[in-house]
Amino acid sequence: MSPARIFPSLLIPALAAQLSGCVGSDDDPSQVHDLRVLGMSFESPELMAADCNGGASALEFAAPVTFTALIADPRGNGRPLSFELLACGSPVDDRTCSIDADRVRLAEGNTAAGELTLALRPGLALVRDGSLLLQRVVDLDAYHGLGGIRIPLVLHLRGDAENVYAQKLMVFNCKRFASMKPNITPRLPGLQLDGQAWGESEVRVLQGDRNHKLQPDDFSALEEDYVVPGYDLREVHLKESWKISWHVDLGKISPTETGGVDLGGQESRHLVEWSPGVSERRDVQFWVVVRDGRGGESWLKRRVSYLP
Amino acid sequence: MPRSRVLVLLLVPAAALGYEGEVRRQVLDGGIREPVLTKSPELLYSAPAKYPDQALQQGLSADVSLIITIAADGSVSDAKVRQPAGHGFDEAALEALRNFRFLPGEVDGAPAPVQMEYVYHFTLAARVASEHTARREAVLKGQLLATGSRARVEAASVQCVNLEDVPEAISDADGRFELRFPPGQCQLKISANGFEVFQTVETLAAGQIAESTYRLVPKNAGFETVVHGEREKKEVARRTLDRQELQKIPGSFGDPIRVLQSLPGVARTPFVSGQLIVRGANPSQTDTLLDGISIPLLYHLGGGPSVLNAEFLDRVDFYPGGFGARYGRAIGGIVDVATRKGATDTLHGVGKVDPLDASIFLEAPVANGVSIAAAARRSYIDVLLPLFLPKDSEGGTLQIVPRYWDYQVRLDVGSKREPDARSGANTFYVMAFGSDDILKVVATGGGRNRDVTVDAHTLFHRVKGDWTYRKGKLTSVFAPYVGYDAGSGQFGTAFAFKADGTSAGAREDLALELSSSVRLRTGADLLFSHLAGSAQVPILGDIQYVPFPGAEPRAEAQQLDRSVNSFDGGLYSELDLIAGPLTLTPGVRFTWARIRGRDLKASDPRLWLRYRLSQASALKASVGLYSQAPNATNFDDPPFGNPNLTFQRAFQASAGIEQKLGDVWNFDLVGYFNRRFDNVVTPGRTIGNADGTVTQERFSNDGLGRAYGMELLLRHEVTRNFFGWLAYTFSRSEGRKVGDGESYAPTIFDETHILAVVASWRLPRNFELGGRFRYVTGRPITPVLHPYDLYSADGNRFYATLGETRSARLAPFQQLDVRLDKHFLFRSWTLTLYLDVQNIYNAHNVEATIYDYRFRDRFTVPGIPILPLLGVKASF
Repeated sequence: MSPARIFPSLLIPALAAQLSGCVGSDDDPSQVHDLRVLGMSFESPELMAADCNGGASALEFAAPVTFTALIADPRGNGRPLSFELLACGSPVDDRTCSIDADRVRLAEGNTAAGELTLALRPGLALVRDGSLLLQRVVDLDAYHGLGGIRIPLVLHLRGDAENVYAQKLMVFNCKRFASMKPNITPRLPGLQLDGQAWGESEVRVLQGDRNHKLQPDDFSALEEDYVVPGYDLREVHLKESWKISWHVDLGKISPTETGGVDLGGQESRHLVEWSPGVSERRDVQFWVVVRDGRGGESWLKRRVSYLP
Repeated sequence: MPRSRVLVLLLVPAAALGYEGEVRRQVLDGGIREPVLTKSPELLYSAPAKYPDQALQQGLSADVSLIITIAADGSVSDAKVRQPAGHGFDEAALEALRNFRFLPGEVDGAPAPVQMEYVYHFTLAARVASEHTARREAVLKGQLLATGSRARVEAASVQCVNLEDVPEAISDADGRFELRFPPGQCQLKISANGFEVFQTVETLAAGQIAESTYRLVPKNAGFETVVHGEREKKEVARRTLDRQELQKIPGSFGDPIRVLQSLPGVARTPFVSGQLIVRGANPSQTDTLLDGISIPLLYHLGGGPSVLNAEFLDRVDFYPGGFGARYGRAIGGIVDVATRKGATDTLHGVGKVDPLDASIFLEAPVANGVSIAAAARRSYIDVLLPLFLPKDSEGGTLQIVPRYWDYQVRLDVGSKREPDARSGANTFYVMAFGSDDILKVVATGGGRNRDVTVDAHTLFHRVKGDWTYRKGKLTSVFAPYVGYDAGSGQFGTAFAFKADGTSAGAREDLALELSSSVRLRTGADLLFSHLAGSAQVPILGDIQYVPFPGAEPRAEAQQLDRSVNSFDGGLYSELDLIAGPLTLTPGVRFTWARIRGRDLKASDPRLWLRYRLSQASALKASVGLYSQAPNATNFDDPPFGNPNLTFQRAFQASAGIEQKLGDVWNFDLVGYFNRRFDNVVTPGRTIGNADGTVTQERFSNDGLGRAYGMELLLRHEVTRNFFGWLAYTFSRSEGRKVGDGESYAPTIFDETHILAVVASWRLPRNFELGGRFRYVTGRPITPVLHPYDLYSADGNRFYATLGETRSARLAPFQQLDVRLDKHFLFRSWTLTLYLDVQNIYNAHNVEATIYDYRFRDRFTVPGIPILPLLGVKASF
């Protein structure tokens, strides 16, 4: 590419990003008013075999994991929600797991808004022909498991006419390098509202239609260093940069997501503002979901009593 | 003494008439310049004719019209009577003419034989005039200039209307004349084609010599009506726009490249982008050349004003396909921009100011046979923008500094030596052009969660020499050139790169007329490039390792240093085989490229056919293969490139008819079919290797494409008061990737119906009004269905359920752009105010669709609203 062609490469994506902000919906990812899956986690987020000799059959992959989904349904008033949890092997349809030959039903039933928790052994799941789902994923993966075997699990949730498919990757890895260690779940140490610590059981009373600042306690020391294999099987050293998504069932929060490092190495700060925007008295629910960029995910819930 | 008047009609074959300080034409025919009359002959000595005795006795007068040939040495080598007068007048005129002496005319700056019409007047009043000459005459010497431009007025008649026996004077190429008359009053009358008659009274004493300059007012000067020499057309589709058309089309900001979007075969691009999508091809597959050198970057800052000043250009030839073997390195179309020579009479210039930038163009003779033209532009949006940027209430910093400049310069040297049979005629010119862009963005602190800093700089320079040698039926053009490119960028603290490139190339084009029915063109086109760059960037997910969805980790830095040498050489030949109305032009281009040590070879045969049905109509067809090497940087080793890339190829075929309708209308209809293969696509293939590594090709030659359609052009040539055209294109552009099934899908460039109507009128009181209307059916989009929400918890984003690829379309586009110019003519300069209004009736067009974050609701991104642009231009 001629050095002279820098500007089209820079300007077109920037322009597109700006345009998407100029037009569009008032519906904002931070506003939770209907059925949403806000987060999903596995404990442990990653199962790691001591070496790569066992492939998809490594003993460590048989370990149980706890799956938890954070479900919000403000208008549902506690209605029952039907669910099924599927795992699929095909990368072509890994968002709905609709290809029968390549999927496994791990659980199904009814739940309600809140947290859905299930105990699973996805590493032992078998597809219809009796082969290991893990092996099917490896066979269909263009990278043949390099960087981790990632099984897509899909939670299909239904409530009346609302229909949501939410996907989460369960990571099975092998210790290709001595420096590799399994991922652990990121957990925010705490939150602050308008500069003051905000505990889980504390219902803060806020009055007046004005913006309120939210930010997490400093967690930079908790972000892990980790190693992944490059395409040439050399070590690639990375460091987590947690991303936080902010949700509320009244008003909106801006920005809706913070964190991460861009190509220029600039890291996002985590200061957001909540705008109530209404003049009705009520209890307000906040959800703050943190992701480590490697499959680890957790969340905090907080409440406010709002007086306009 | 008989009076004589010279009417110069240039009869040199394939010549273009019309230097009025603005229009000089280098006629390109298949890339080889054909001769152009650059200087008319000047009469040095006229021998008096002997009045025929018989006619004298009978008191007869006569005008004898002759065709004379003035040799390269200024003598009259041949004279033939065109309209005999009889009574001995013809013989007397022929006898006298043999003793005339001229300063020879020049073709391409070199003395050459010129044929012209000459009228010899025999009038009995001549006797009285001779009596006057015996007394001491008054001599009035003068120069005639055009008001508003200072152009010299040639071939004007200067006479004393109250003195019938005083011979009139005719102004020469420099506008100069010498009028001799008896002392006393002369009621001076000056008349010239295209100018208002000028009258005044001059009173001179016996023996007095007076000098004066007279300014003639153009007769509501219209568009420059140029008699086009018949540039022989071989190509099925070659569309030519001259400088007036390039500058006056509304909605194109006076940008010479954007104007091409109003021609058939070119798709409309979103917003005001000037990219050229030719017959559905990717913009990178169409090459734009300036005097034969590829322009590395067409627009400032990725989509702003063109890097070329329209005043510097003479003409643009646009080939949407089916171009000849002299052009290579492109599989789409070719845009060949020709610069113009500097003025040979005096200093002229144009200065322009609009909201974005200011530019100047100057041209002047430097010495005898040497002229120079130069243009420069500099933006000032960087100075104005801070006045409009909002202040950050929380103390943050916001700075946006876009800055650009460009230049073009050309120095012409014509040979003044008399040609001889052995050495031929030579002309030379040197041309340079370049551009420099900077973009700096600083958005930090205050209430921002993320600091953004961008610092990007790009520039290029090109210098080219041109030596044209002509001898008999051989023409040779040798053009060496060198170039320098540089680019650097810094984004944040972790991404920085710098690259420099140098290039050197040369073209040799030979044209030889072997016989009246066989013409040969052959040549070589060589280009060597060296590119070196370094970058400090983070390890890149997806390119160097398998990324996790939604991850934006801190990555270790890496230093990349690269150096690439590439060579691209082409040899071509074409033959014109003429058999009556049929012209067959087989040609072939051989290309050898060596990039990073990899050899690529291609043979591209091409064939044109032209069958002249009549003087006004012709059938035409073409077929051929075309090759284009991928960018040299694409050959890098994985994961950044693919060293196994090959040429991109295309097969192109077209057929059509052209019909001249009267003197000024032309109709052209062409159907085409293109098939593109081995196109470079990204990403390439993912290959698992036996040792467990993965080869992730960044690029591969897996792209396939096909395009077919029909182009119609109905055009009114540039005449005094009007020019314009109607262009309609029916087009289909489809593509797929090897391994993605057998079905083609419309490409993002596919626009089925494209209509453009362009018109420009010269109105009274020095107004010009132009309009451009466009109607284009919508670009294809892939419909989004929403049976349910599709959410990825890892990336915290929603996905769309897509319908069939590009099976839906945006709403059709329609827009009317209008431009109004008003010229104010002053003594020695002209002021022009112009208003260019895009989308004058504020049509609500849709440029794109976007969705809410869950793909439930669809929103449209509007096109530009009504957008007026006011500009000021001064020319002298």
